[in-house]
Amino acid sequence: MKKNEFVEQLSEYCEFENKGFNLDTQFKSIEGYDSLALMSIIAFVDEKFSMKLTALQLRELKDFKSLISLIGSDKFEND
Amino acid sequence: MGSKIKAIDIYLPEMVLTNEQLAKEFGRWEPDKIESKLGIRQRHLAAKDETAGDLAFNAASKVLSDYDRSKIDMLILCTQSPDYFLPTTACVLQDRLKLRTDICAYDFNLGCSGFVYGLAMAKSFIKTSIASNVLLITSETYSKHIHPEDLAEKTIFGDGAAATIIESSGREQILEFVLGTDGSGRNNLIVPNGGFRNPYDPSAIEHKTESGDIYTDNNLFMDGPEIFNFTIDSVPAAVEQCLKKNCMSLNDIDYFIFHQANKYIIGYLRKKMGIPPEKFYADMLLTGNTVSSTIPIAYSEALNNGSIVPGNKVLLCGFGVGYSWGAVVVEV
Repeated sequence: MKKNEFVEQLSEYCEFENKGFNLDTQFKSIEGYDSLALMSIIAFVDEKFSMKLTALQLRELKDFKSLISLIGSDKFEND
Repeated sequence: MGSKIKAIDIYLPEMVLTNEQLAKEFGRWEPDKIESKLGIRQRHLAAKDETAGDLAFNAASKVLSDYDRSKIDMLILCTQSPDYFLPTTACVLQDRLKLRTDICAYDFNLGCSGFVYGLAMAKSFIKTSIASNVLLITSETYSKHIHPEDLAEKTIFGDGAAATIIESSGREQILEFVLGTDGSGRNNLIVPNGGFRNPYDPSAIEHKTESGDIYTDNNLFMDGPEIFNFTIDSVPAAVEQCLKKNCMSLNDIDYFIFHQANKYIIGYLRKKMGIPPEKFYADMLLTGNTVSSTIPIAYSEALNNGSIVPGNKVLLCGFGVGYSWGAVVVEV
């Protein structure tokens, strides 16, 4: 998966109403970014990367880019 | 000596809190979106002077209305909102329900895994001939633990009770169990104050969550995302171990009833385990998460609507606060 596709797919998975997010979009600026959104991120990363993220790790995330770093940039294709 | 689930009845308190009422009070979410994500439209709440003991009494009275109560020789109550520190609420219920005095009655303190643990105890007592007809009651009033300004928890949890009669049987219909515990997760679902480690504090400070909800250490706190992580770790493994212990595969099970935590969590678990939706109970629309009563409420509803019929093998799985979890296969 490419990084931009990740942003798009995750946003859709979390059912964020607004579109057009990019790697630098701050999670806290997204309307509807709440504990349900955190659960959706956990589910998405578990499903696509078989990886477990703790709630603490998620709460410290700033933007999509930092989530990608946490998962590991090597798991993404080059854009 | 075998055992079987003979009858189940439920009781939900009269007061109802709808998503519309919550949206109006808090003004920060849409009722339809919450219903579609969490699968909850309303929940019942105990009145101010109505306790878990009262809900338990009402559920038990219903199930005993067409059962000879003099046959009951054991009463087990699962609750985390007992009427008193002491005496044991089950002892009070023995008297209120006019059960025999030469019976055993006690409470046990578990949450969402409680029904499965109750079945394990009932089966064990029957198998060892200590009892023959067990009344297992699950009853909870979590609403009394929740801060009035904590929208997330008010949305999820509902109050309610279920009363189940487990009888001795010629053949075993409550099959093999898998039970588990991991107390390292205790802080993720907790009421910190009110016991003797941290007494109730009338001036406890208010905390605010990322969603803007307010709670104090006198209230229920739940770290939803961390609880979700726990379910992803424990539930598929417990189901797999339970199937193995019963020498069965997923296909041998006619129906699956998990603790109805919320639609999102159980939907994800179902998908992850590859259970077909038509073999999986998912309905907490009108009750919310009633903690230890979700499984008996679901079992009773599945029997009433024909989703399960006599002879079916049903896998029950409870999981939650503790952490604590349990799974068992029962034959209807």
